[in-house]
Amino acid sequence: MTSNAGSEIEKKSGDDNLLPTMNAENLQANMRTIYYSRTFLSIIAGVIAGILGLTNLTGFVFYFFVMAITSLGLLAKAKFSIHAHFDSWNRVVLDGFLSGLMSFVLFWTFAYDLVHIF
Amino acid sequence: MNISFAIGVFGILILSHATYSTIQYRSFLKILEEEFSSPPFNVVVELILGLVLCLWAALAVPGKFLSIHPDSEENRIVSLPANLDFMIFNHRGRALPKDVNMKLKC
Repeated sequence: MTSNAGSEIEKKSGDDNLLPTMNAENLQANMRTIYYSRTFLSIIAGVIAGILGLTNLTGFVFYFFVMAITSLGLLAKAKFSIHAHFDSWNRVVLDGFLSGLMSFVLFWTFAYDLVHIF
Repeated sequence: MNISFAIGVFGILILSHATYSTIQYRSFLKILEEEFSSPPFNVVVELILGLVLCLWAALAVPGKFLSIHPDSEENRIVSLPANLDFMIFNHRGRALPKDVNMKLKC
């Protein structure tokens, strides 16, 4: 029997671990997909917040709102079967949050300057 | 993938049009010397539409989610050898009936 690629990692059994082994390549590919989606949507959210002229706390509230919608969209894309595609809920809901925040603020200030100051 | 990419580009175009309209609206307000509180209604509609289209594109373009179950059908790590050195044809299979439904995964 020849075996192809596809590395498997043996996850040490934690408290309530449903998947003792998993396909690590696919997990990484899924994480990359989430990262791309979140980054793109952070940029779009920044541009929209700049156009609307949001300032201070309202802008960050808008960012959290868009990220919540993104999480819902990702859940719907995974057809709500998280355990078939990821190893924990945190990955889908919380993963690209803070890195997206930086991009959001960058494009928010950029769009705000473009529309309201110049 | 291509239709989602086109939808994303279209969403970005709608957003840039909204930017341009808001800039024009602002210069218009400067002439009238009024305060800017929020962009006009059609710009807000355009922004919502652009957000929805970009949301769709951001979810559809990067690719499907792959299953991480090691024993799901698409994660088979064993396949029949495709190497020509191991293929022999002079065997007893000649005597078997002709159409056998074989599940081959290359």
